[in-house]
Amino acid sequence: MSEVKYLTEFYHLNEFQGLEGYKKNGGYVEAAKALKMKPEEIIDEVKKSGLRGRGGAGFSTGMKWGFLPKNNEPRYLLCNADEGEPGTFKDRLMMERAPHQLIEGMIISAFAINSKKSYIYIRGEYDYPIACVRKAIEEAYAAGYLGKNIFGSGFDHDMDVYVGAGAYICGEETGMISSLEGLKGQPKLKPPFPAVQGYLRKPTIVNNVETLAAVKYIIRDGAQGYKKYGTEKSTGTKLFSVSGNVMKPGNFEVPLGYPLKDLIELAGGMKPGRKLKAVIPGGSSAPVLNAEEAMKATMDYENLASLGTMLGSGAVIVIDDSQCMVDMLGTLTHFYHHESCGQCTPCREGTGWLDKIVHSILEGRGRLQDIDLLIKVADNMKGRTICALSDAAALPVLSFVSKFREEFEFFVREGRSQVKGTNYAQMHH
Amino acid sequence: MSVVNNTPNKSNWYFSSILGGLFITAKHLIKNLLNKDKMITLNYPEEKYEYSPRFKGNHVLTVKKDGAIRCTACMLCATNCPAECIKITAAEHNDPTVEKFPIAYEIDVLRCVFCGFCEEACPVDAIRMGPEWQTPGSNGSQFIYDINHLAYRPQLKGGVVSVVDEVERHKSGI
Amino acid sequence: MPKCTINGQEVEVKEGSTIMQAFYQLDQGIAHYCYHPGLSVAGVCRLCVVDIEGNPRPQIACNTVVTEGMKVSNQSEKIKDGVKWILDFHLINHPLDCPICDQAGECGLQEQYMEYGKYNSEMAEPKVKKHKVVDLGPTVVLDSERCILCSRCVRFTDEVSKTNELGLFNRGDKTEIGTFEGKELNNKYSLNTVDICPVGALTSKDFRFRQRVWYLKNSETVCTGCSTGCNVKVYYNKEGAFRVKPVFNENVNGHWMCDEGRDIYKFVNIEHRQTLAHKMIGGQKSEMPAGQAATEAFQVVKSTPSEKLAVVLTGQYTNEEYEAVLKNFKTKNVFHWKNLENSMNDFDGLLIRGDKNPNTKGLEAAMKAAGIHTNWNDLEKSLSSGAITTVVVAGPENLAVYPDFADKVKLMAQAENVIWMTACHSEQFKAFNQSAFVIPTKSYLEKAGTFTNHAGLNQSFKKATTIVSHALTLSEASFLLTGQSIPIAVAPQAAAFVDVDRRADQVMIENRKKNEFVFKRGSL
Repeated sequence: MSEVKYLTEFYHLNEFQGLEGYKKNGGYVEAAKALKMKPEEIIDEVKKSGLRGRGGAGFSTGMKWGFLPKNNEPRYLLCNADEGEPGTFKDRLMMERAPHQLIEGMIISAFAINSKKSYIYIRGEYDYPIACVRKAIEEAYAAGYLGKNIFGSGFDHDMDVYVGAGAYICGEETGMISSLEGLKGQPKLKPPFPAVQGYLRKPTIVNNVETLAAVKYIIRDGAQGYKKYGTEKSTGTKLFSVSGNVMKPGNFEVPLGYPLKDLIELAGGMKPGRKLKAVIPGGSSAPVLNAEEAMKATMDYENLASLGTMLGSGAVIVIDDSQCMVDMLGTLTHFYHHESCGQCTPCREGTGWLDKIVHSILEGRGRLQDIDLLIKVADNMKGRTICALSDAAALPVLSFVSKFREEFEFFVREGRSQVKGTNYAQMHH
Repeated sequence: MSVVNNTPNKSNWYFSSILGGLFITAKHLIKNLLNKDKMITLNYPEEKYEYSPRFKGNHVLTVKKDGAIRCTACMLCATNCPAECIKITAAEHNDPTVEKFPIAYEIDVLRCVFCGFCEEACPVDAIRMGPEWQTPGSNGSQFIYDINHLAYRPQLKGGVVSVVDEVERHKSGI
Repeated sequence: MPKCTINGQEVEVKEGSTIMQAFYQLDQGIAHYCYHPGLSVAGVCRLCVVDIEGNPRPQIACNTVVTEGMKVSNQSEKIKDGVKWILDFHLINHPLDCPICDQAGECGLQEQYMEYGKYNSEMAEPKVKKHKVVDLGPTVVLDSERCILCSRCVRFTDEVSKTNELGLFNRGDKTEIGTFEGKELNNKYSLNTVDICPVGALTSKDFRFRQRVWYLKNSETVCTGCSTGCNVKVYYNKEGAFRVKPVFNENVNGHWMCDEGRDIYKFVNIEHRQTLAHKMIGGQKSEMPAGQAATEAFQVVKSTPSEKLAVVLTGQYTNEEYEAVLKNFKTKNVFHWKNLENSMNDFDGLLIRGDKNPNTKGLEAAMKAAGIHTNWNDLEKSLSSGAITTVVVAGPENLAVYPDFADKVKLMAQAENVIWMTACHSEQFKAFNQSAFVIPTKSYLEKAGTFTNHAGLNQSFKKATTIVSHALTLSEASFLLTGQSIPIAVAPQAAAFVDVDRRADQVMIENRKKNEFVFKRGSL
């Protein structure tokens, strides 16, 4: 099987970036079509298509839109382009290659939920995507696709880019709303959920870049046309960012339910002479799969959940047998220690604790009971906080330690890596 | 004032008791003359008895390596003191790592029962019961020991250094 | 009014109240730090986890609204173990410097750790170092290491004082409380942040290191700082009073009080007090106890014809005292000395009022009841004209809120005889150079009584402590000044016969056994 070019059909064309090239390849046809439909019809269509959020949680998009209160309060559409999950780089590609695709998807979605104002929240590090999206929004305003009375339907919509400062936690929807409001980027207590009280305490829908772009294709092909791809419960295609020890890392669009084995082959396969050791299938916060599990895994929400992990944002990190798992976990715990917002105690203190334990093992100060302590700490962080960062920090620790325990025990006993044979200082010069 | 009138028949029996007493005295006199090393009594001002190192004598306030008072003025000794003889006045130190220290620390030794509870309550080895016990004074005020006497009296030769070290505590992350 | 079951006990709560409030209502134990009934819900300490029947995940009690028929429990092993661990998360970076921490003895961490703690902490890594002794402003000092980031203080400045000085800075375990650049925590309610701080992170500069809290007794009373009449708790020992904290009263002050009111304990202490009565006859000054001075002053009062006698009252005494004075003196020349007349009706919107007397309303009511309607200007006129020769003044306790004190002392000094009753000593009394008595009275901590606050609410309070033992209350002084003896309330007589086997105060053997320290050999 090879890639399916559905969303990414014209990504190889440089002209697809600009408005002219985009229109030439079928751009803004669906927006014009959708604005003649009834909003409820669009929501229904999205519901029927089975589109699920592509940002990480995989929640049904149509259902999320349905949670909006039925009144005439102003409501907001936010596009989550923060893409903080380590290993994920699909949104960057989409914003660089086809900013108009996102804008068109957002116009349709905004019309469906009757929002007059939307923001695209892009992380600060993404200089080029920010420039691309800003330019595209200008072009869209100039062409009358944004602003007052779009396509003569009487629908007004404004769109803006908001540049975040690059905090991982601002990719969490309520954290993003806080950041957008000008507060410290910290998740808010739920309930109330954003669909009821979000940005400026008004109903707010937050969707990922890929989710919003896919709406355009649901309108083009209808729910049935979209459901052609993927499995019964995980419909459509998805961009997977394959990285790590593969020959040809990059973004690959495949239908959901695609075997992980084939996806690795698509990315050029393993380096010569190397064997697959483990795969993190959904960004750094997803539990790791070992080689056997990876061989039978298919990339859809249900199958990965049955293997105890998750699809997440679709960042596939391939690890071959030259990598030290203790060192890898050290990098991950350091990341979560650095990115915890510091609001809830189990996460604030727990991420730091995990990081310190893993690093004391790495630096040769570890004790055998530290390995069990890692599991205990991670267990008690899980599901105890406002947002999912605590779980995101705990799950990799639990899976790394339980699946590669002998490597940890070797490191504690010998003070050096079982795989590389060197200690921490030598590994990192 | 009452006078005891001994009856004559009682007074006949004293002579044997006196002899008995004289005999005991003579026995110890001869015993001590024969082996002087085992003699129990001391020639007090010249000779002094050496007590066990665990003897609970007069209090000593320990100092840090730099010579400052170790005490953090936590007042656990004063809280614990059954005789209520310790009085501490705390103040803010200029060094934020020290934070709290005593500007006055008084022990009324005449009230003290030398139970040693203060020593046991102290979390930082700041107060100890020293070996001294010969501490005469000519009036009551000399028995209220102030901070200078407790930590820097001449017998202590510049102060007793505490076993609890701030720098090491800091390093070990306490 | 939904009904729910908390640990098997049924309770009916108000619509929209949370599980935490139901726990409060039942007085059931639940560990929590960030929840405070006077502030919004933050849900960050995660300690108040409970099991709700039918919900697979444990929920936090402070943010879950009670629904009809909800069955809540926090007694399962799973929840208890979780609470232990979360409490341990709080403690892994806490410095545990309880011996030098002012909060020790009334610390939330200590109390809750004794009840729910894990006891065998497995933390073996170095702790995070943060700032110590951060000067936040004129009243508060911060120790970031002790802070458990419950954000109560931040929410207080956000929601109650609405001054927003405090914020949370940095991320993760390096998060610290702090003020914004160039700003300091200097609002009029800043010391409430110290009260609500569950640990010793925020300490009051005024109280810092002065006493360990276990040396202090406390007694509830009413603040005399202004006419709001906040309910407060005064902490004192034999050395005097040391601090004042608010007590929750829904109708008066809620959970809070102002910084000004916290200073009101100061003038009560012995160094500010009039300890002995002064008698001045023809420039000859002599000192004596209060009772003797009052008895001697009676001669002056007796020799003055009643129309030449005036009584001056301030709004700092209790209703009972006003009643006694008005009853005993039987004169209509009673004048109300008003301070700060221009700002009398000021109000800052939260608690602080411009009327700096606790009982102006009470005095007005007492005078009205006695049918007295006088004007201050009449007194000034008659003093200068000599129409009044003897003034009996019940002077203010809290001299700081009487800016006209020196002028009024000079004004009264014009009279032939001055009998001035005061709790606090002042240099201004030197103005009395002829016949004068200065009689020490008891401060509000040393007597029981009733204050009427700005809204007409009568609040009774009890005696807390004694600082100047021979000082008189105003009613006692009024009895002595009018030649009567002080009525002594006789305690009800005990029954003539008691049980032959037992004295009334006898400690029974089983109670004695309970208190005895049993030394177990080998247990040490």
